[in-house]
Amino acid sequence: MRGLIATVFRKEMKDHLRDRRSVLTSLVTGMTGPLLTLVLFSLIASWTRQDKVLEVPVIGREHAPSLMAFLARNGAELKEAPADHESLIRAGKLDLVLVVPQDYGKSFSAGHTADVSLVVDSSRQSARATVQRARRLLEGYSQQVATQRLIARGVAPELARPILVEDLDLSTPERAAALMLNMVPLFLMIMAFTGGLQVASDTMAGERERGSLEPLLLNPASRGDIVLGKWLATVSFAMASTLVTLGVFALVVRQLPLEDVGVKARFDGPAILSMAVAILPLAFGASALQMWVSTYARSFKEAQTYLSLLVMLPTLPGALISMSPIQAKAWMFAVPALGQGLLAGEVMRGESLGPVPFLVAIVSNIALALVALAATQRLLSQERIIFGRS
Amino acid sequence: MIRAANLHKRFGPVTAVEDVSFTAEDGMITGLLGPNGAGKTTTLRMLYTLVRPDKGSASVDGVDVVTRPAEARRALGVLPDARGLYPRLTAREHARYFGELHGLSGAALDKRVDELVDLLEMKDIADRRAEGFSQGERVKVALARALVHGPRNVLLDEPTNGLDVMSTRAVRTLLRRLKDEGRCVVFSSHVMQEVAALCERVVVVAHGRVVADGTPDSLRASTGKDSLEEAFVTVIGSEQGLVQ
Repeated sequence: MRGLIATVFRKEMKDHLRDRRSVLTSLVTGMTGPLLTLVLFSLIASWTRQDKVLEVPVIGREHAPSLMAFLARNGAELKEAPADHESLIRAGKLDLVLVVPQDYGKSFSAGHTADVSLVVDSSRQSARATVQRARRLLEGYSQQVATQRLIARGVAPELARPILVEDLDLSTPERAAALMLNMVPLFLMIMAFTGGLQVASDTMAGERERGSLEPLLLNPASRGDIVLGKWLATVSFAMASTLVTLGVFALVVRQLPLEDVGVKARFDGPAILSMAVAILPLAFGASALQMWVSTYARSFKEAQTYLSLLVMLPTLPGALISMSPIQAKAWMFAVPALGQGLLAGEVMRGESLGPVPFLVAIVSNIALALVALAATQRLLSQERIIFGRS
Repeated sequence: MIRAANLHKRFGPVTAVEDVSFTAEDGMITGLLGPNGAGKTTTLRMLYTLVRPDKGSASVDGVDVVTRPAEARRALGVLPDARGLYPRLTAREHARYFGELHGLSGAALDKRVDELVDLLEMKDIADRRAEGFSQGERVKVALARALVHGPRNVLLDEPTNGLDVMSTRAVRTLLRRLKDEGRCVVFSSHVMQEVAALCERVVVVAHGRVVADGTPDSLRASTGKDSLEEAFVTVIGSEQGLVQ
């Protein structure tokens, strides 16, 4: 690194590492993605886990002994329902309560339809699996009794069942969980943008706003050196944030019950490394682009407004990829952000791509960086930028 | 030594500097005196290479500011109109940063920064972060970083603007000292007393032109006025923008 570039770089690093609040903010932001994934993933997994005991609180157990025996035989754990069960269900502390009315026995013996009620809150996602299992058991019992009754009367049970509907549900919670993992590259790409956002805003727009740009340009250091030093600092922050996020993801994924929900994804050491190689070069292009845009802004706040819009840039291709994996074509790797998302996705799926797509993605980001940096440098020789203060 | 020859600068329809020529000698304080909007700041900006003149030329120690700007900046120490500091850096770090950008390093830089801390009487703020510095303290830091490389020529744009009495005196003392060291000092001001108190040489600028150039005495003599203030009003042809 040439001397003056290093001087500018060191100063910006020192300056911004002292900005405790924004360093902390970007660390916390970096952890949000992985932790969100952990929580949602674990929740989904816990709802769908089949080996969980089905607890059925019942009111009026004594009215339907044979139904109770059937439920118990099929793995349900029966217990007394608490008195305030309705409020408990509404609060989400209880999934369901089965209510057997007093006249159940009379209706049942007489061969009428006997009513039982299942008290549930259908808006609760977390109770959905339990309620479904309970309902299936009750319907099973009903079906069994109906069949017995028909046979007792000499009627073939099939007559009473003209159609048998079987569910073949393709949209399972497992797929939702897998979708969550597809968000990992998206989170990483967003960090490559947000990680350097503070530095990019402060080193260009902030410098203009404070009135320190003019004194800075009075040094014999060339504008190119100044821009490069600032860019390297921005890139460092962006890369560090991205790596923190990737590290936390690596830790989090180990805690995820991936097998429980039947997701196959590679998150071993080499995969994490490849992921870093895939995503990090985005910081080159992103940081340079942010500095360019930031130079147009007269104030730190103005720059932040522009730059938070710029963060949308990677989310578009990123979200597209995470929602519906597309077939990667060679040219796509050369598109910054799109290339990163595709590469990271392929790494996660365990595909081996060879070094060429990675190189293409790195080169394209460096090219983007060079264009943006050249433009930034040109802006710094314009009088309206140097002297134009708000 | 700083030479300006027929400098001219337009910003769109506005002519900021019409025709400014003067020479500022070494070992002398030259005051650029004029009302607000006369073109003093633009003239200085052309001299310190950040504004490109449309016409005319300027040189610092014989180095042309347009064709060899980096070299000219090396020979210049500038206190511009903008004196922004980095709130998270200390006063000393400001001086060090600019020193490094001028190619200084190690013990030589340490020694130079210590000298400036003494010279500008900023021991108590030297290792404090710039956040919350007073106006006077900010100017001291800005001066320290402008002078860290020991420039032969010093340009100051309204250096005492917004300063209290004590800080103003400190700045004046510094300017005299720089002069005594044989440096070429140019400062702009719209304050008559300032110029009268400090300068051996006054260049009066009005409407983008030099309207008078000489010692305070010769200015008084040529206008036939006793006080410099009246002489000033006479040469600029109005009473606009005058501060006592």
